[in-house]
Amino acid sequence: MIPVWLLAITSLLYLGLLFGVAYYADQRRAAGRSLISNAHIYSLSLAIFATSWTFYGSVGRAATSGLDFLPVYLGPTLIAFSWWFLLRKMVRVSKEQNIVSIADFISSRYGKSVTLGAVVTIFAVIGIMPYIALQLKAVAHTFDLLSNPLSGPGRSLHQLPNFGFRFDTALVVALILALFGVLFGARNLDASERHEGLVAAIALESLVKIVAFVAVGIFVTYVMFDGFGDIFTDFISRFPDRQDLLLINGGDNSYAHWFALTFISMMAVMFLPRQFHIMVIENSDEEHIKSAMWRFPAYMFLMNLFVIPIALAGLLMYNGDTQGADYFVITLPLQFGQPWLALLVFIGGFSTSAGMVMVSSVALATMVLNHLVMPLIIRMKIEAADISGLLLNIKRLAIVAVVFLGYLYYWLIGESYALVNIGLISFMAATQFAPGLIGGLYWRNATRGGALTGLILGFIIWFYTLLVPSFVRSGWLDQSILDKGLFGFSFLRPLELFGLTGFDIWTHALFWTLLFNVGAFLAISLLTATSRAEAEQAAKFVDVFLPQRAPLHRERISKAPSVMEFVELMTKFIGEKQAHAAISQYLGNREIDERGSLSEYELPNLKRFTERTLAGSVGAAPARIIIENYLATRGSRMEDVFDIFGSVTLSRTSSREQLGVLYESARLVASGANLQSIFDDILKLLQQQFKFDLCVIRIFDDDRNTLVVQSQVGMSSEHLGESERDLNMETYIGATYLTNTTTVVNDTDFMDKAFSAVIIHREGIKSFAHTPIIIEGQPIGVLSAFSRTSKGMLTEEFITLFENLAGLIGVAWRNARQTAGLIAAREQERELQIAKNIQVSLLPDRTPDLPGIKLAGICVPASQVGGDYYDFLPRSDGRIDLVIADVSGHNVGAALIMAETRTLIHARTTNFGEVHRIMEELNEFFYADLTRAELFITMFYCSFHPGNRRLTYASAGHNRPLLWRNSRGACDQLDAEGMILGIKRQIVFEEEATDLEPGDILFLYTDGVTEAMHPDSGELFGEDRLCELLASLKDLEPDVIIEEVLRQVRTFTGQHSFQDDVSLIVMKVE
Amino acid sequence: MSDHSGNQPRLREAWILFFILGVVMLNYPFLQIFNKTTTFFGIPLLVLYFLLGWPASILVIYLFSRSLPRRPRTQRAEKQDPGGSE
Repeated sequence: MIPVWLLAITSLLYLGLLFGVAYYADQRRAAGRSLISNAHIYSLSLAIFATSWTFYGSVGRAATSGLDFLPVYLGPTLIAFSWWFLLRKMVRVSKEQNIVSIADFISSRYGKSVTLGAVVTIFAVIGIMPYIALQLKAVAHTFDLLSNPLSGPGRSLHQLPNFGFRFDTALVVALILALFGVLFGARNLDASERHEGLVAAIALESLVKIVAFVAVGIFVTYVMFDGFGDIFTDFISRFPDRQDLLLINGGDNSYAHWFALTFISMMAVMFLPRQFHIMVIENSDEEHIKSAMWRFPAYMFLMNLFVIPIALAGLLMYNGDTQGADYFVITLPLQFGQPWLALLVFIGGFSTSAGMVMVSSVALATMVLNHLVMPLIIRMKIEAADISGLLLNIKRLAIVAVVFLGYLYYWLIGESYALVNIGLISFMAATQFAPGLIGGLYWRNATRGGALTGLILGFIIWFYTLLVPSFVRSGWLDQSILDKGLFGFSFLRPLELFGLTGFDIWTHALFWTLLFNVGAFLAISLLTATSRAEAEQAAKFVDVFLPQRAPLHRERISKAPSVMEFVELMTKFIGEKQAHAAISQYLGNREIDERGSLSEYELPNLKRFTERTLAGSVGAAPARIIIENYLATRGSRMEDVFDIFGSVTLSRTSSREQLGVLYESARLVASGANLQSIFDDILKLLQQQFKFDLCVIRIFDDDRNTLVVQSQVGMSSEHLGESERDLNMETYIGATYLTNTTTVVNDTDFMDKAFSAVIIHREGIKSFAHTPIIIEGQPIGVLSAFSRTSKGMLTEEFITLFENLAGLIGVAWRNARQTAGLIAAREQERELQIAKNIQVSLLPDRTPDLPGIKLAGICVPASQVGGDYYDFLPRSDGRIDLVIADVSGHNVGAALIMAETRTLIHARTTNFGEVHRIMEELNEFFYADLTRAELFITMFYCSFHPGNRRLTYASAGHNRPLLWRNSRGACDQLDAEGMILGIKRQIVFEEEATDLEPGDILFLYTDGVTEAMHPDSGELFGEDRLCELLASLKDLEPDVIIEEVLRQVRTFTGQHSFQDDVSLIVMKVE
Repeated sequence: MSDHSGNQPRLREAWILFFILGVVMLNYPFLQIFNKTTTFFGIPLLVLYFLLGWPASILVIYLFSRSLPRRPRTQRAEKQDPGGSE
């Protein structure tokens, strides 16, 4: 006997240790170094499957009915094969959907159905009730056994008389476990509904229970007996008639029974709420599943290794008495004077129970809060800004309530059923979740109606075939129901429903529940259609491993709430701290526009994020209702966005349509058709592809300072499509042009420009967009599109396309402009060529051949026509006149003046007497023309008589020619007073004369030579350099001298062409 | 990912095969073979069958889990799918 105080203190100390571990794990998580995020802890925590049913009940089952305790553990081993596919899929879906419980999972799959969530929750609570009762019973009994072993196994001992007052052990256990459930599972509010502390505690418990069980197994097998063989031999020799315990035989031990147990344990290990919670919700990494796949079955194997030896040893010890077989594990060590081992076993058993009750109650309380309480709270429309505290307290209350429901069942049924049988009732309940859940994961067409009907029918049958008999057996219901059927209908006998006989209670129940459940699930699913919300969710579940596709439907929120309003909404349910943490995480990687709010397209995402965050705390279905109610009260609506790109969207950024429209437009622009037809065709394309009612191109007219309609397609409207727009900020078009930014109005109910609003409303426009047509950063016009049919159709993708189209229109416009310019330029060029040809023909085509001198001349114009002129004019008296002139400018005007000059000179040559007279006459003649044309002429005119070798000359401000005096070996500069022609009407020109000698060289030139500039130093070629050059060239022929001078000048400037016209005349006296 | 996708359907087929094999070996009529009173080393045949068959099936799962594609170390769990079960 172990004193009550020692048992109580040990138990409480142990719970304290668990709590310490949990607290430490929570601290580690907060510090970002998770204690539990590894495959070992995950595998160990899964062993929560082994409850006191395993710990005590297996031995009891083995002692009474033999090997059929095994299928309950073989089933999980078999289903573990599927984990990499099935469990991983469940984990992935839960992570992506922020799912918090099995009810949440099923309700989410079927369009976040509130009804389905509530039904699953109610059934889960009722279904698990017996299971919790089982745990309470086991703890209470073992406590009683240890503290008062004299009572012996099997005897019911609810009260502890030696404690001074009467109290119910099971009640105290329930209270303590409920308290710890609250401490572990609802200590504070956690938006993610993950409890690392709880998981750490569960893992420790799993370790403790296997150590305790293996310890007692080794003690029994190897201390009390001589190993496995010894026990079996002993047993067979002593109870040869009980050998059927080691075989599979008929009755309660048939193969059908065997299969039924294997199957329901396969389902239970996946779909019991606590298993789902630990395996799916608390999973921190999918990779852990890999090792849990074999570690968990191995744990189960180890846990069952000593079950048969202990059972047989118990039977041997108690002379085949099976009454207390459920507690052989604890009575055997006690019997053999090992109270400390018995205490260890008690702690191990306590571990199994405590872990199960805590996780189950937390998981169920979450479901109760989210799927039963939350919908009511939402309906009540509580105004408080933050009800998260209230929610937390409701959750705590729910944990206590769940535990006490279990206590209630224990109090009703308690003593009439063995542990295993109570547990199997719950297993069968969990099995009812399988069709809807697995079907929903792999079958796209499963519907809410199918899942709901199947579930409800399955549970009604479950209740009738399993729970009712348990009530009858406990005496709580009348035995007549079992014997005669409900209301005396014999076909309604709970254990022989519809006359099906010959099966044990479990096989019978499994057959009927699954038949109705699966049958209704399939049939109703086939008969009903999925709603859009369901189809959306179905895709997210069934195709969770497929690459994400762009959503087919786009939505927008009319009268959308601001970011802060979303935060306030979250605060209400998850508390201020969590809400702010969530929103900053969300906004962290998103752009906020200049008004400090999110774009129209981002708001639906924020809405989804808010819903998802809330779902992580309150479940998917309530989160959906919260958001919907909130938007409804504000008058906001989710509106479908007409999918402007059609349904075959390839990706978010480029759709086939988008590319098609751009390609077609680019082709139009490149076609080289005239501008008007390009504009018209692009607008037609835009209008047809996107079903606009009106598309307009306006181009800015500089002269009138208005935007003039260039092209218009669609409805005729004198207000929108045909009118010009003054350039101001009063209209959207004006503002678009002036600010050079795109304007999008997706809902014409909300506009800020009154002037435009009047017109827009009169024309019944629902949405429109203007984008500037830009060339090299400058707007030249505006492209507009108007729709009368739908709001919110102008998505970001469309606007990108729209802007690209405007760009193409700009290109077309510029192309047209450039083409016109090119044509003009080409025509001008042709005229200039003509002018040049004429001008060249005006220059001497050959040098006159005169005795005593050699002549050469050249004119190199800088541009095509030049203002330089030179000429040789042989006189009848044997003289030769040389003239060189430079008309300012290099344009056609200069060329014309030059031609005029030549004409005059040629016409008058024979009449000219003296050189200065020629100059005076020219000045007089040209004064009017030159002044009008704002031109002037510099000119040098000289006359040489080869006979007397006398040179007379006059200059009109021309560069002074060089005269190489061969006798002196130096250059003279010929200068004569005279102003530039065209400055004054009356000018007197000085006439100079000089005599030349043979070998002298006269060098006439225009300023293009001496003012040729060195590219680097900016130095001019200059007269000195020219003079030196001339000296070095004095022995050459005149045409060679000219070539050499030009070459030298080119070398000097480093350029082939001259910056100014260059004209040269060289006369060499012989 | 391509090296995984080739071997993933096979893995799934292997799983289905082993799963069916497991269900067969732990059910009627297969168990009937061992459902005898014969003992080996004092241990009844059926019990011995479970004592050896069960660990064997766990070993198969262990080998199966070893053959599953490994996640590249650099990638985060949420970002990838080492095989894709669909």
